[in-house]
Amino acid sequence: MQLVAQIVLNGVLLGGFYACMALGFSIVWGVMNVVNLAYGSMIMIGAYVTQMAVLQLGLPFAAALPLAALATFTMGYVLQRALLNRLAERSVFMTLIFTFGLNMALINLNLILFSADVRSLPDVFGRASFTIAGLSVPYGRATIFAVAMAMTLGLHALLNWTPLGNAIKATSFDPDAARLSGIDVPHVYALTFAIGGAIAGVTGALVATSYSFSPVAGESYTMKAFVVVVLGGLGSIPGAIIGGMLLGIVENLASLFLDSGYRDAVGFTLLLLVLVLRPRGLMGRRFFAEVKG
Amino acid sequence: MSSSSRRRLVAGGLSILLALSTVMPAAAQDMIRFGTALSLTGNLATEGKLVREGYDFFVKTVNERGGIDVAGKKYKVEIVYYDDESNVNTSVKLYEKLISQDKVKFLLGPYGSGITIAVSNLTEQHKLPLVIAHGAASTIYNRGYKYIFGVLNSIDHYTYNMVKMASEQKLTRLALLNENQLFAQLGIDGAARQAKELGVEVVYKEKYSSGTKDLSPELEKMKAAKPDMIIAGGYTNDMILLARQISQVGLKPKLLGYLLGPTLPGFVKSLGADAELTLEPVQWSINVPYKDQFFDWTARGYADAFQKVYGHVPDYHPIQSTAALQVYYNAFQKVGGFDPQKVRDAIAETDIVTAYGPIRFNEKGQNIAKSMSVVQIQDGKPVVVYPADVAETKLKLNP
Repeated sequence: MQLVAQIVLNGVLLGGFYACMALGFSIVWGVMNVVNLAYGSMIMIGAYVTQMAVLQLGLPFAAALPLAALATFTMGYVLQRALLNRLAERSVFMTLIFTFGLNMALINLNLILFSADVRSLPDVFGRASFTIAGLSVPYGRATIFAVAMAMTLGLHALLNWTPLGNAIKATSFDPDAARLSGIDVPHVYALTFAIGGAIAGVTGALVATSYSFSPVAGESYTMKAFVVVVLGGLGSIPGAIIGGMLLGIVENLASLFLDSGYRDAVGFTLLLLVLVLRPRGLMGRRFFAEVKG
Repeated sequence: MSSSSRRRLVAGGLSILLALSTVMPAAAQDMIRFGTALSLTGNLATEGKLVREGYDFFVKTVNERGGIDVAGKKYKVEIVYYDDESNVNTSVKLYEKLISQDKVKFLLGPYGSGITIAVSNLTEQHKLPLVIAHGAASTIYNRGYKYIFGVLNSIDHYTYNMVKMASEQKLTRLALLNENQLFAQLGIDGAARQAKELGVEVVYKEKYSSGTKDLSPELEKMKAAKPDMIIAGGYTNDMILLARQISQVGLKPKLLGYLLGPTLPGFVKSLGADAELTLEPVQWSINVPYKDQFFDWTARGYADAFQKVYGHVPDYHPIQSTAALQVYYNAFQKVGGFDPQKVRDAIAETDIVTAYGPIRFNEKGQNIAKSMSVVQIQDGKPVVVYPADVAETKLKLNP
């Protein structure tokens, strides 16, 4: 029983991380109907920036994290403003092809800049754990969880309680009406993509501390983000959290009770079930693309 | 520039290119040409680069000494390279190209077992020898193929010396974990067999899915089995996660071994203290006591000469590549010609000692003359701790 409780707790911690990385993917998809296949590569860039800031500039991790977010925020804004906005009104396939190509370009750029070596930041949070009710919680995973939750709340606040949030939501529902009411739609799109980028950057900083990264490792993160977003519901912040946690817990329990090789199979079965029984996702409202007609 | 002069320029450029392309084969007549496709980009690019350096180093060395002496005539050596982008399908196409378009008769292996299996189907069909420097899966050699030869120890032998160490240290409870993937599975299954043979009990054995972001379910179960030694197999990304989580869940084995990881670039730097005292079997180390029968170098001599050219100390990858070419080098001299069938037969009879180690093939094409050394990370540096005649220093157990 103790073991099951520990594994569920680990699943929750993992789920927080999944939620965190899915947020940026979800908001871009939800608002602009862009499936950003280069999302994982942006996470990797966040990880590289963090590593350089810590190892070469000697900054503490707490300072490197915002730096990574700033880098991918800027990158996101420029990409959207300069390139993706030209495709925004076109079909989903155009943007898919674009982000697919962008992903290849970023992977190869990273290969040239950083080589294919696998990297990671050693010992940012140490190896220690603390104990709650007999269950051990490693500091590293707890920090990731805390950052993920803080970012989720921040994004929720931004979207619901600020003028920018209203502009983003309005643009997402009806870009034409938004334009008529004086909203600078290309700017809002670019900011949304940039926010998604910043979240990727923060995720990358977290990846650098607890996982390893290399130019080609991004794709597995894009894949996970995709699953979490579809599970939880497109563009929904609570959806990302619930989708992430559910996936984390179910994967871990599958590893515990079934052969660990079934971990992914169980995750994808869950995805299939949700798609069949509740196609809009657990917390999703109607499909954004559908609303937009 | 007017459009007609531009057209003339293009035409001129084209004719120069054409002229060059007809000249090249003539100049290549006194050359022995090898061919290979390597993972020069993509997710295996790190290893691909090391593999290429080893092949190139042989070419440089031999050509500087005037070439290979075949029936009284010196032949220079050249390798036709392609980039397989770490992709099996691309690799097979490129080998097809090497054989049918470039007319290469002597092939060198690619990097990685999966790619080698696919490529060897093709070379076997064409009845052309393939000397494999970097395909360790035992499945490559278990198909009754007659034209493949691997200079390295195959994966099911990797852990033999590690398990033997465990039994000599009176460690009796072994836990095994591997990525659900061919290479790691063969290696860890091999470890389970060796444990049985050497009287070590396997108290836990499982596999996990590639790219997993949390290994704690496996490790918590492993912890409950109270192992005193762990051997894990998988690619570097997962092994870094594993090393972190082993200490996070509070597993404290006396020995922790990996099929591969600790000696790869990035592992020690990424993990710091978590890499300390980890073990890895290696195909070769600078300390192996072999003196090359063709070139006047020992293992250390090879490393020094290599470092002068490439600016870094070679791990086992480059010298393994060099050894594959030395197998050909020996066979050409024995045959005194370039008939692929005769060269193949001479390769089958190989019995040489190189700085990489002794090479002699069994009927499956596996090198049965060499064994793996075991490396341990001590104070952040890899040192050889086993077997005794190769060891630089003593094995340390975790407290």
